[in-house]
Amino acid sequence: MITVDYVIVFVFLAAMFYIGSIFYKWVGNSDDFYLAGRQLTPFILAAVLAATNVNLYSFVGQAGIAYKEGIPIIWQTWTGNMAMVISGLFVIPVFRRLRIRTIPEFLEKRYSKGVRTFVAFIWILRLTFWLGVVLYTAVIAAQTISGLTSFTAWVLIFSVVVVIYTILGGMWSVAFTDVIQFVLMLAGALLLLPLAMSAVGWFPGLSAKLPEGALTLVQETGTYNWRFVIAIFLLGIEWACVDQGLLQRAFGAESTKSVAKGLVLAGIITTPFALLWNLPGLAARILYPNLANADSAVPILIANLIPNIVLGLVVVGLLSSQLSTISGNLNGVATIFASDVYENVINRKATDKDVLRIARIITLLTGVGMILFAYLVPVLGGAVNAYLTIIAIMDMPLFVIAVIFGLLWKRVNWQGAVTGYILGAISGIIGQFFFDLDFNLTTFITAGTTLIFTPIVSLFTKEVSNEKIDAIWRARTISDEEIASNNIYNIFPKTFNGKLSLVVFFSGLVIFLVGVFMGSSGSSAASIVAVTGMVIYFIGGLFRAYTN
Amino acid sequence: MYIDWITWSIWLIGVLIMIIWIVVPIREFKKLLQQKRTELKNKTN
Repeated sequence: MITVDYVIVFVFLAAMFYIGSIFYKWVGNSDDFYLAGRQLTPFILAAVLAATNVNLYSFVGQAGIAYKEGIPIIWQTWTGNMAMVISGLFVIPVFRRLRIRTIPEFLEKRYSKGVRTFVAFIWILRLTFWLGVVLYTAVIAAQTISGLTSFTAWVLIFSVVVVIYTILGGMWSVAFTDVIQFVLMLAGALLLLPLAMSAVGWFPGLSAKLPEGALTLVQETGTYNWRFVIAIFLLGIEWACVDQGLLQRAFGAESTKSVAKGLVLAGIITTPFALLWNLPGLAARILYPNLANADSAVPILIANLIPNIVLGLVVVGLLSSQLSTISGNLNGVATIFASDVYENVINRKATDKDVLRIARIITLLTGVGMILFAYLVPVLGGAVNAYLTIIAIMDMPLFVIAVIFGLLWKRVNWQGAVTGYILGAISGIIGQFFFDLDFNLTTFITAGTTLIFTPIVSLFTKEVSNEKIDAIWRARTISDEEIASNNIYNIFPKTFNGKLSLVVFFSGLVIFLVGVFMGSSGSSAASIVAVTGMVIYFIGGLFRAYTN
Repeated sequence: MYIDWITWSIWLIGVLIMIIWIVVPIREFKKLLQQKRTELKNKTN
């Protein structure tokens, strides 16, 4: 990078700081800070969700796997997008109707206060550790691209500006800067794609020079084979239904209908976007075939192919992808602590002003925690693997008790939920550490254990019925807010067009699954069938979100 | 001159998404800004 590039980066950070900070005046109460006053429109929500979900992991980690193993890793993003559409159409509208801010808050309504506090602490630790990993990967990529090798300098560049504007403007700052950052990172990726493809002789050159099968989307064998596509799709559904970072943005939507529209749009726009970092990853394999660290594939490609000045713009795009993820998760931790721990346990008589003050202090402390974890990541060695293990052990049981039993079976009580959660987590620990099972299998075991023990314990303990649970069951169909505004979203559509769109949606899902299963026999048509199914699925989902 | 339709189609879809996500959010944020200004005015009055 030359001086002009550094000036571009500096101007960008200063602009983000200024724009993020002007929203200070917009934050009048805690709902403004956590959820942007629940006023986000579908297109803003979609950009916010896409910006939060695309980060340097995509450009570095996923592109690195594409470099090593070929294109099938793209299903991690594509199935995640499909999962967002399912949760947007069927699950999150129910949560939005309950006007909750966090998943632990839902767990109190559904089960008990103890479950809420327990899960809240787990999420605070998890999100802070995740932030440390995100910051660390950002610094490593920035060092490779820029030539500025000071770890501390990049830690400060990435964290100071974003922490300050998130403290000041809360979700309003997060939402506005996310929209700008989404456009900038898309622009950065659009600059990279043609340069990378022309360097390898465009698409014919790419397919001729890559090893056989590297461009096959659904593979019969290998690490990222057809089974991986199914497993990652199930994990994606779990993520899209309980992830605090995603849910909090969705709860900021202006209406239940906007939640559905925003999530469907976010899923659709991120799908072609995924090609913009996976194809350069494949191109890097041809241009730099013997890299010791595959994660450096795209950073090296950027450093070598992109001319100065344009390089500054691409770095701004990459910075954008990281800042949006950091700001959203900082706000998530602050919300969980202030709402589920401070207001709920420490100071039950807290005023809205107290809660807002605490949320801002926690944002600052989480920022400090994120920096400390970033320094710890290289010391811990397998930190990212440890994080994935925590997800496999902790997240799947949460999905089962919160979404499957929490929304579908009234008879399940808090005793069943807590026992199922703990036994599910223990089975995951045993599978992972005593039997050395892989990440996917551990996830299925934790889910299975929770699915079995939660209903058994519930049936042997007292049935609980109260107004809160009745309110959840009512939220499956309607809310007072929708009646008052005459803006009703029917999860199961009433009109012909709505029903037709649902048929198209599920037909797409079936075709997608058929395509993936065709991959098990090595069929050459598997990839095209799976992708066709995915496209039909998105079309059905889009029409569903815009019909009633 | 050779034109790689696959690469440029992906690129064009990306550009289209970028344009839509510049134009529509600007319009929506403008509306929100007006609402907020009115709210803040009413508060000070």
